[in-house]
Amino acid sequence: MGIATLLDIQRWKGLGGNNMGEILRVQNLSFRYPEATKFAVRDFDLTIKGGEIVILAGPSGCGKSTLLRAVNGLIPHMYTGEYLGSVSVGDHKVSEARMSELAQTVGLLFQNPENQIFMFSVERDIAFGLENLAVPPDEMRTRVDEAMRQLGITDLAQRAPHELSDGQKQRVALAGVIVMRPRLIILDEPTSLLDPKTAVELVELVRRLRDETGITFLIVEHRLELLVRIADRLVVMSEGRKVLDGGPEEVLADERAAAYGISIPPIPRLRNQLKRDGLPLENGFGPDELAEELNREALGR
Amino acid sequence: MYWVAGGFIFRRVNSPFHSLDPRVKLLISAELFVVSLTAYSVTQLAVVMAVMLSIAAVSKILKRVGRTLIFSAGFSVFIFVINLFASHSLLTSAVYSVRFLAIIISTSLFFITTSPDELEQVMKSAHLPRDVVFAFTTAVRFIPVLMLDAIQIVDAQKSRGLEVEKGNLIRRVRKMVPVLIPLVVNSVIRSGELAEAMESRAYGAVSRPTSLQRYSSTKRDKLVAAGSLILFIITVYIYVRFPTPL
Amino acid sequence: MIEFRDVTFVHQTGKAALRDVNLKVEKAEMLAVVGENGAGKTTLVKHVNGLLKPTKGTVLVDGEETTKKSTAELSRKVGIAFQNPDHQLFSESVEAETAFALKNFGFSRELIDQRLNWALQFFGLEEYRNSSPLALSGGEKKRLTLACILAWDPEVVILDEPTVGQDAIQKEKLSGIIKMLRSTGKTTIIVSHDVEFIWPLQPRLVVMSQGRVVADGPADTLMRDEGLLEGARVMQPQLVELYQRLRRRPDSPFASVNDARLWITGPVVS
Repeated sequence: MGIATLLDIQRWKGLGGNNMGEILRVQNLSFRYPEATKFAVRDFDLTIKGGEIVILAGPSGCGKSTLLRAVNGLIPHMYTGEYLGSVSVGDHKVSEARMSELAQTVGLLFQNPENQIFMFSVERDIAFGLENLAVPPDEMRTRVDEAMRQLGITDLAQRAPHELSDGQKQRVALAGVIVMRPRLIILDEPTSLLDPKTAVELVELVRRLRDETGITFLIVEHRLELLVRIADRLVVMSEGRKVLDGGPEEVLADERAAAYGISIPPIPRLRNQLKRDGLPLENGFGPDELAEELNREALGR
Repeated sequence: MYWVAGGFIFRRVNSPFHSLDPRVKLLISAELFVVSLTAYSVTQLAVVMAVMLSIAAVSKILKRVGRTLIFSAGFSVFIFVINLFASHSLLTSAVYSVRFLAIIISTSLFFITTSPDELEQVMKSAHLPRDVVFAFTTAVRFIPVLMLDAIQIVDAQKSRGLEVEKGNLIRRVRKMVPVLIPLVVNSVIRSGELAEAMESRAYGAVSRPTSLQRYSSTKRDKLVAAGSLILFIITVYIYVRFPTPL
Repeated sequence: MIEFRDVTFVHQTGKAALRDVNLKVEKAEMLAVVGENGAGKTTLVKHVNGLLKPTKGTVLVDGEETTKKSTAELSRKVGIAFQNPDHQLFSESVEAETAFALKNFGFSRELIDQRLNWALQFFGLEEYRNSSPLALSGGEKKRLTLACILAWDPEVVILDEPTVGQDAIQKEKLSGIIKMLRSTGKTTIIVSHDVEFIWPLQPRLVVMSQGRVVADGPADTLMRDEGLLEGARVMQPQLVELYQRLRRRPDSPFASVNDARLWITGPVVS
């Protein structure tokens, strides 16, 4: 890697990782699609700090997708409607910035990677966003190579989309987002089309990317058992409103969570019940941690 | 259906012809097209066919060219019969129908050996508007995807007792409704998602986007282009200078 | 009810999607099929209603070879709900959508009405009777596709990835529907990655990998085999992993799986 690239990464890290300031601020946001009777998002407040991994959960139709689109600018730039309140990402006010500026600050990985791969080779697809911004070819080459290396897909560079597995498509699509060097990446149900092991690999990848580059992640997901382990916060939405927001342990231990339609993963559910039965347990989401504690408890008696 | 979808999928092959600059391939293909179109004797047709089939052999695409020929065989026979009816001689009719096949081969040489990427490059170098080029490449990119959608839809409806193959023509057309509606709905959903993804990746931010891949003609490309041009001119000269009857 | 005898299926592309599959499913059995993406799970179930015919070997449904019947005939017995509802919903109303297959199968008008009413009521879709299926939410679309199938009362019900994109509430409803299918004696096959969803149902488990059936047995037993699941890129259900970890320590107070389970039974089983 050349010195220039190194410096570049340092600068990038400086922007995202070491800066623990706010990266996202949603203030009192309400949005109603034209011709809809109800607001899809109502009086929504959310602040995310640089480098956090935040999960957004809630039943279907609770307004998650609308919120994501309001954060990356599709709302109000592509979808118009009744828009109240404000959203700021990095230094940009979303409603005032241009989509091209936002694309370099916040990246959105959609649920189905198939529909976001446009080009016939992996590396050209990853370059798509940079081409659109007229980044000089040499710099583009460096950044594309770097993104492929970060996601471990360098050997796929010349492959065509139809030659990729689902997990690989997901990584290619993510590389196309990362290459824009956003400070915030939104993942919309990233594991729903993957087999479990591939999903675990993706979760690990997210953790590694956050640790290495300091990118902030906002992840919408139903399958909490995989993601809570890496999350700093869990936000629950219901009928367009934010109803719970806190550390994952705390939120999953909240009795209201299940009532809001959140699937409490087996281990936290068991922990909650054991605690209610009077067992002095600590926190943790993995079977390994709970097994360790239970063994200790049983032996101690 | 898988087979049809497969026809649209470009396969990367390593051959001296594939690796040429796409514009040179287009030039050669165009020259062969003209030469095929204006061939009027059996000898000329034979020579043109031989040249094209050797290029196909070198490019390892004889099989795919063969498949294209099978597709066009029916039309070729049709041309033969029509000409016979138009009271042309047997030989003339045969020349016409073979000439049709030659024209097909000349164009398919370009399309089979050129990746959609390269096609895009050719379109760009022809200064077509970015939106047109992108619409074209996206259409090509999603043909196989839509084909797979169609297969899944047909499977789902057959599993609900739809018998696509049964009945007369009108019945069959009506039976396409349960397939066509979901296909259209899915395409609309897909195109909506595509538009969002494009927007999110700064599509249209600048009027002159750059390109990761830079095609530059190598010495070899220029030599091949020049060589093919010389051969083309000589051939045309022979055509004009020695007009032989059939 | 269903039998696969040395079934191999090779795609036109030359890729073998099933290799020497032997499988016998009895009437009223519940089967779950797990395995990595591309393991051949969907190819397997498409053989049951004859959408695909084996390249080698035979598939028998109710003792008859699928090659001798049309998909329409086989579908009368075998209902498959595919993963994506958008791949099949097309009618102008929920009612017409549900009646579609019944008309294809030549049910009488009265019978159609009767089955239709039952299905819409059972799946809680009564109120949408006259709305467009496309206007429904994701979870409702999924339930509608199930209603469409159960309306003709097939003997075998196959669900391909029923939980994909479904939230906790929808999953719970699905789980209830599956339990109902079992209690009414339907042969049920669930293709899914979602081990946390499958495991509590305690089905017979078939593990597939690269076109082969690599294991076949009670879910409770097979899911303790971490290596086996790993090979098929499937995770252990978290509670199973917990039991095993509890026992792994040499000084573990949990001598048997049952001990471990008893210890935490109260909360787990509910």
